[in-house]
Amino acid sequence: MKKSNTYIFLYASVMVVIVATVLSLVSTWLGPFQERNIEVAKKTDILKSVEKAERVREVDDRHSYIYEEYEKYIVETYVINHKGEIQDDIEAFDVDMRDEMRKPLEERNLPVFVSLINDDSYKYIIPMHGRGLWGPVFGYVALNDDFNTIYGIILDHESETPGLGAEISTSGFQERFKGKRLFDEDSEFISVKILAPSDSPVEGHSVDGISGGTMTTNGVEDMMYDVLSSYEDYFRERRKEQ
Amino acid sequence: MSQTEQQEKEPLFSFRNVKLLTTPLDDENPITVLVLGICSALAVTVMLQPAVVLTISVICVMGLANVIVSLLRNTIPSRIRIIVQLVVIASLVILVDQILKAFLYDVSRQLSVFVGLIITNCIIMGRLEAFALSNKVWPSFLDGVGNAAGYGIILVIVAFIRELFGSGTVYGYPVMERLGVYELGYEDNGFMILPPMALITVGVIIWVQRARNRKLIESSPS
Amino acid sequence: MEELVNIFVRSIFIDNVVFAYFLGMCSYLAVSRTVSTAHGLGMAVVFVLGITVPINYLIENYFLQKGALSWLSPAFENVDLSFLSFIMFIAVIASMVQLVEMAVEKLSPKLYTSLGIFLPLIAVNCAILGGSLFMQEREYGTIAEAASFGVGSGVGFYLAIVGIAAIREKIKYSNIPGPLRGLGITFIIAGLMGMAFMSFMGIEL
Repeated sequence: MKKSNTYIFLYASVMVVIVATVLSLVSTWLGPFQERNIEVAKKTDILKSVEKAERVREVDDRHSYIYEEYEKYIVETYVINHKGEIQDDIEAFDVDMRDEMRKPLEERNLPVFVSLINDDSYKYIIPMHGRGLWGPVFGYVALNDDFNTIYGIILDHESETPGLGAEISTSGFQERFKGKRLFDEDSEFISVKILAPSDSPVEGHSVDGISGGTMTTNGVEDMMYDVLSSYEDYFRERRKEQ
Repeated sequence: MSQTEQQEKEPLFSFRNVKLLTTPLDDENPITVLVLGICSALAVTVMLQPAVVLTISVICVMGLANVIVSLLRNTIPSRIRIIVQLVVIASLVILVDQILKAFLYDVSRQLSVFVGLIITNCIIMGRLEAFALSNKVWPSFLDGVGNAAGYGIILVIVAFIRELFGSGTVYGYPVMERLGVYELGYEDNGFMILPPMALITVGVIIWVQRARNRKLIESSPS
Repeated sequence: MEELVNIFVRSIFIDNVVFAYFLGMCSYLAVSRTVSTAHGLGMAVVFVLGITVPINYLIENYFLQKGALSWLSPAFENVDLSFLSFIMFIAVIASMVQLVEMAVEKLSPKLYTSLGIFLPLIAVNCAILGGSLFMQEREYGTIAEAASFGVGSGVGFYLAIVGIAAIREKIKYSNIPGPLRGLGITFIIAGLMGMAFMSFMGIEL
């Protein structure tokens, strides 16, 4: 039906105002709940990379369970720069890897979470952020105290194809990373390769990919390389100490 | 307007209204006849579970969006109707997403993939444009639910075929392994999980459907 | 400059919206009966993508991103409006589509009727929203790069839809089993074209 221009203009403005108000109201009202959820999810991911918080699906009060576990197993957190020097005034938990990975290497703040688990050994957990096929991929990798062997890894994504790229978030895929090494015998940094069917495996440094999910696993491979290579100097230093 | 609306009081499930629910399942199926909502049919049909989840979400969003647009239909200026319709859909989806994020975080994390898929699903917009914009609330609601269900049926069939032959499972249950066909030398067809095979599967479904329902056959060969 | 050409060529062939990401399928299958309508829709998509991606780039970088509003006043440093990005992108796209619709209606009534419902549906053509979302995700450095990506994706869609329309005009003379006629065979052709385009995957530029 034909309406006058004034009517159209008014209609559009009223609609925009209503929608914007409703959305911002909801967003501010729910903001605190969401932030708490995000915080708990982040802590859960960190704990899961060292195979803790395994009862998270069973407990009734998930939030306090995760807080407890986090207090218990994460003993120290700190932020370093690319040379491995500790940055004092930054809280590791508040660092957003997405923002850090956009900066040039020299300006990145790199968080490290130290975990002490049952067998009295320290694990070093590094947060990761990168790009998959459709959207961000992210996760946490836990290294043994030789700063070389992968103890565990947690990967997740926002919008990869279900059944293909989305398989990176399954434990079946993440299991494959365990025991893989970042440095080779000559102490050369090579990270971990995720193989497409045509690639040949590299002993100790490669895992099988996901058929149909190559574009996503390439993203994961790049993410691991980009993030972990920023920590390379720090790892080397710590390796020398041993 | 008041005239047409008061003309007749028909029962909620009159013959005409039931027809609105059932025609989209076959004669006017949104995917195989009206060609709407193909992109999401390619993206989520690798496995059954996401296909089912998306179907349920689309049924909810479509029912609601149709009702809202049908309520507003006499006020929407035709020149900006596209924007209005999209804003209705997008705000609905974003609202649901925000609420899930606050209270059911795990669900929202699993559904994050679908938020974009629902907003850009042309099936919703297509039905708003073709039906809800010119019909009363209750028929619009039925039309929305019917179309979403017709869309869901195709999604589930395609997903079933692709999951069974592509990964050898049905809803995650390893059927092929249990049947023991791997020992006979059977292998999963990796091609089934790639998007082109979804297109071809839908093509074959159309073939079967039209062989059964011959009035859908098109006269021109291309 | 080299980077721009690079992005342009990539988005036409390697990251083709239709065959690499399978976006925009609905209008691709439904409006490809003849080359002339395919040409019309293709041009409309090139136009809409070429305009909306740069506009949304500006919106993303000067309004929505965290800290993007700091050009207004340093007090807005921490304002993060990214939850609005979906709806803003869509609003921009929908208004551009509405503009195109009005222009086509005035300039070429014949094309207008043959495009039918699929003209308004460009607004929800996932290829178009996909363009803006990819632009956001890939974080292009300059508006020129974003524009080059937008136009390139549009050209990729144009190429794909005119290609399949040409094939469909040819198969008019083929003897296709009745139930497979029209839509059925088109789906299968699209699948085959998709397989062919997969050979571009993995080429590094």
